[in-house]
Amino acid sequence: MNSTLLTRADRLAIIACVALLPWLYASFWNNATGTGEEVHIVVGGRELPPISLTEEQTLTVQGSLGPSILEIADNRVRFISSPCQGKQCIYSGWHSHAGEFVACLPNRIALQITGRESRFDTFNY
Amino acid sequence: MDRTLVSTAEDHRIALLAALAITIHIAESVLPTPLPGIKPGLANIITIATLCLYGLRTAAWVLMLRVLAGSLLLGTFLSPTFALSFSGATASLLVLSLARLVPGKGFGAVGYSLLAAVAHMAGQFTVAYWLFIPHPALLHLFPVLMTAAVLFGLVSGIIVATMLKRFQ
Amino acid sequence: MRLQQNRILLLVILLLPLGGCSRQEQLHHAQLFSFGTLVDVSLWGASPSQIEHAEQVIHEELRTMHHVWHAWQPSPLTDINRKLQEGTEFTCPPELLPLIVQAKDLYRRSGGLFNPAIGRLVALWGFHGDSPPQGPPPRPEAIRKLLASKPGMDDITLHGSRLLGTNSAVQLDFGAFAKGYAVDRIIDKLMRLGIKNVIVNAGGDLRAIGHHGERPWRIGIRNPRGQGVLASIELGEDESVFTSGDYERFYDYKGTRYHHIIDPRTGYPARGVTSVTVIHDNAAEADAAATALFVAGPEKWPTVARQLGIKYVMLVDDKGKIHMNPAMAERIRFETADRPEVVLSERL
Repeated sequence: MNSTLLTRADRLAIIACVALLPWLYASFWNNATGTGEEVHIVVGGRELPPISLTEEQTLTVQGSLGPSILEIADNRVRFISSPCQGKQCIYSGWHSHAGEFVACLPNRIALQITGRESRFDTFNY
Repeated sequence: MDRTLVSTAEDHRIALLAALAITIHIAESVLPTPLPGIKPGLANIITIATLCLYGLRTAAWVLMLRVLAGSLLLGTFLSPTFALSFSGATASLLVLSLARLVPGKGFGAVGYSLLAAVAHMAGQFTVAYWLFIPHPALLHLFPVLMTAAVLFGLVSGIIVATMLKRFQ
Repeated sequence: MRLQQNRILLLVILLLPLGGCSRQEQLHHAQLFSFGTLVDVSLWGASPSQIEHAEQVIHEELRTMHHVWHAWQPSPLTDINRKLQEGTEFTCPPELLPLIVQAKDLYRRSGGLFNPAIGRLVALWGFHGDSPPQGPPPRPEAIRKLLASKPGMDDITLHGSRLLGTNSAVQLDFGAFAKGYAVDRIIDKLMRLGIKNVIVNAGGDLRAIGHHGERPWRIGIRNPRGQGVLASIELGEDESVFTSGDYERFYDYKGTRYHHIIDPRTGYPARGVTSVTVIHDNAAEADAAATALFVAGPEKWPTVARQLGIKYVMLVDDKGKIHMNPAMAERIRFETADRPEVVLSERL
């Protein structure tokens, strides 16, 4: 049993070091390009299970007009193809910030990026 | 009168431990790392065990010999890698000597190992940032590196503590 | 005993990271999609009933905007356009009168660069439809013909609530400031509900009042060429941020981009600018100013900004260079890894 492996000082050291970690992330990760961790995809009214932004992948989402293809890489997400006419969703480029919201309205697909507290409350474009 | 080099029992001990540490260090150097600077640091098991069994002075010797001889053997002496190793080792020793001053029973192998690992990584990172890559993108790595340090420090510490218990 | 201590230790280790989480309960964030517009609302410290009413208010205003001011589908606005064209005096419906009054004022103060009377021209370019046009662009003769009569807001005379159109080429299209106008109305109604801290963001253009708890509202301005956030700004107690860009409604034809911000003087989409961002208190004026300054271009925008009383402008030209006035440069914070090229104008 590891009860005799740890002294009291050990325990305190462990608590201190582990407590240090979240503080480090909070301090140093604000300089990151985005705080997004997951993307929630809503198709029509239905929300799909959230997808992590940490794993590189492409995915196809079936909307009301047809399939939209999303690409996830480097903690960001973007539309790379969509059956809409305007292609605004594609032109808006990469999205990486917690709180960002982007949609292909004609195809009724919306993406909401969530993460820890975002640096920005909303975006102007 | 001739001056001869007479080695003491302590010297033998240091040499043996240092050799062990160097071997582990070299063996570890062939492992691929996900990120530069992240190594399990298994050689530290030797350092910390030495600290607990034979005291700070012996451990300091073992550590410094490991860094020096290790770099000579790997061909990284006086290279940036060496600077990083050296600063990491110095930082660890500093923290360990401070840790020794804690009153009462003090730290066990786990505590020392954890503190040494964290200090080592922090020391390495500081040198890397100030001397080599003062780029904000590096700061992004810092929390990740420290997490690895905490993890590996704990694991090494537990290994040392278990080993020591078995031999006492 | 030791076992107990170790269990507590484990628990502490697992729970500690939660200390880093912030108080999110006071912030309410919602997206509403209504009548073709995506509205993003952020409320701080609002009660559940205020939140519910806020959503109703927004839906109502968007419905009004969609039905009353619609530029091409049959609406009170298309009625007015018909009567203006006929040239007989008529009474302006009350829901459109303030819009026309404000539009006339902004037309004059912008030197005609903000001109909602060129609806015919906008339609000619194909932007009077729900989907973007495909091209080709209209023939120069067609454009010249519409320009010849120089339709402007001064061609509408106003006596009390009686309107008279004196130029049959006039067709009103409030697209350039309807969003701002609607946002102003929404904020007014939300303030009357007792809401003190809110951002109303209609498709990227917004007005914010109050703050986010202890700190001001922080807005990220997206890069007009779509690669992440260009800059950020902290807002005061009541401010609007509006951006006009060549990427909002456009089509590419044979390698040239034709966007919806038509220069009323040339009849063609304004050139030389990628986007203009304006910070101002009033959303309708900010919206109109962003359009007018876009048309004014990288050389003339400071003059027009002064005429309109705009204090903060950021213009990105078609080469990617950023033009700002000193006051804006002080407020804005660039978020890109490399600093962009900035040209400072004189003080506004």
